[in-house]
Amino acid sequence: MNWLRIVRAEMHKLTSTKMPLAFLTVFVVIGAVTAVAVAYGTDMDGSKTFISTALDQQSLMAFATNSVVIAALFGTIAVAREYGHGTVVLTFLTTPRRSQAVLAQLAAIFAAGCALGLIGAGVSAGSVAIGLTATDYGFMVSAGDLVRVLAASALAGGAGAVLGGGIGTLVRNTGGAVTGTILLLIILPPLAVQMASETASWVPNTLANVMSGIDPSVGVGAAIAAILAWAIVPATVALGAVLRRDVV
Amino acid sequence: MQQQSEYPLVIDRVTKSYRGTTVVDDLSFAARPGRVTGFLGPNGAGKSTTMKVLLGLASATQGRATIGGKSYAELSDPTGIVGASVEADAFHPGRSGRNHLRILADATGTPVERVDEVLEFVELSHAANRHAGAYSLGMKQRLGLAAALLRNPPVLVLDEPGNGLDPQGIRMLRNLLRARAAEGNTVFVSSHLLGEVEQLADDVVVINEGRLVTQGSLAALRQSASLVRTASPDVLHKALVAAGGGVDALDPDTLVVRGLSLDRIGEEAFHTGVVLHELSRHTDSLEDRFFAWTESTERSN
Repeated sequence: MNWLRIVRAEMHKLTSTKMPLAFLTVFVVIGAVTAVAVAYGTDMDGSKTFISTALDQQSLMAFATNSVVIAALFGTIAVAREYGHGTVVLTFLTTPRRSQAVLAQLAAIFAAGCALGLIGAGVSAGSVAIGLTATDYGFMVSAGDLVRVLAASALAGGAGAVLGGGIGTLVRNTGGAVTGTILLLIILPPLAVQMASETASWVPNTLANVMSGIDPSVGVGAAIAAILAWAIVPATVALGAVLRRDVV
Repeated sequence: MQQQSEYPLVIDRVTKSYRGTTVVDDLSFAARPGRVTGFLGPNGAGKSTTMKVLLGLASATQGRATIGGKSYAELSDPTGIVGASVEADAFHPGRSGRNHLRILADATGTPVERVDEVLEFVELSHAANRHAGAYSLGMKQRLGLAAALLRNPPVLVLDEPGNGLDPQGIRMLRNLLRARAAEGNTVFVSSHLLGEVEQLADDVVVINEGRLVTQGSLAALRQSASLVRTASPDVLHKALVAAGGGVDALDPDTLVVRGLSLDRIGEEAFHTGVVLHELSRHTDSLEDRFFAWTESTERSN
């Protein structure tokens, strides 16, 4: 099917530069810091209560909040650079129906974001497990909760990547697009919570934690729907812009 | 006998405006199969915009651009019909040349072996695994050409493909485009390298400030002038201008006349009593003609 060919080509685009390697390196660094913190870190009182329960450990390995931001930056940079370098011209020459081209690009970005989120959560969980070997505590998180942490991180990564891809498509300039993504995910949510406290349950961090099972603010279904909405809204606006504007 | 492709390119009264600025103004011309059509104009004349309208990358404010009677987006297999290179450096600098083409091959269902074939053809195999960011402009042009040729399409639309090419590259490009046209394909090439177009094109389309200046067979356009040598150039100059001719002084006793036939020039000389020492057809270089065309449109604005 033509559309799947285009998705495959978009996946090939994402894996044919060193950018994924750079992001995986970030995960390794975060994982290393986590392992050291688990192994040698203490609470203010010198105890290690921060790893003393299954929920504490699950919180430590819940990577979904990081996944949203990291995958969003990945999606932003990947898409904005395609516009910035003009390679999107070839995309639209190959697929003149731009809605198909953009949806294929977003599908590939979503898959890549899910993969990043899953790997990030895997590295995080592994790091906690490694760090725990240097403590008196064992690995207490159940298999079910571990799967939930991994799935939440994968979905959060996918949503973040699509959000970033949408912003990258809209802004096109890599620096501007990254700034836009940081504004949307890191700067604006705390401001919104300060202005209207009831929004706290619906910002990406909270939603990611709900999906990971460490925050009961809203239901899981509502959290999934809301985090997908965070992705779909900018992606839809971006699609509308691509359909309207010239490729220059 | 050559088999003509079914894909003439037709620009039909196309106008393109950006925020009130008209970049292409009621432009009409055609590029025929079996011919190399050179698309000429000064920088900012609207050549690239016209090509983008043709390829569906920009929408026309008015008018229609078609390939074989259909807009680019209406073609059943666009990259199978049209091979295009419109941005010389449209490459991700961190992606290898081979991967750039493999992505295109993936998207179009082209066998991956074809990637190596076209890389070989454009003599870029040695650098296929290097990042495109490290390519020279000429190498980027070769990669763009490889992308356009990937599916061996019957139509080529190339924007300034000779820029940055070394002499061997220029010759490869010239031979390729001539051969494609000889096979009946449609070849449409914009360029500001007039000497190159002179050796390459069968037809030319010249635009300036978004408007058509002239179009037609290059040979006919170059020979559309007459050379007149006389001892009384001033008298004859006035008479020929009054008769509707365009007259330029080549040297003190020689005029180049456009827009009047040899017979008419002879009659005007006879009526004004001017003795002619020479009256012959004159073939301008494309460069001379190009400046004459573009300067005359600028004067008329």
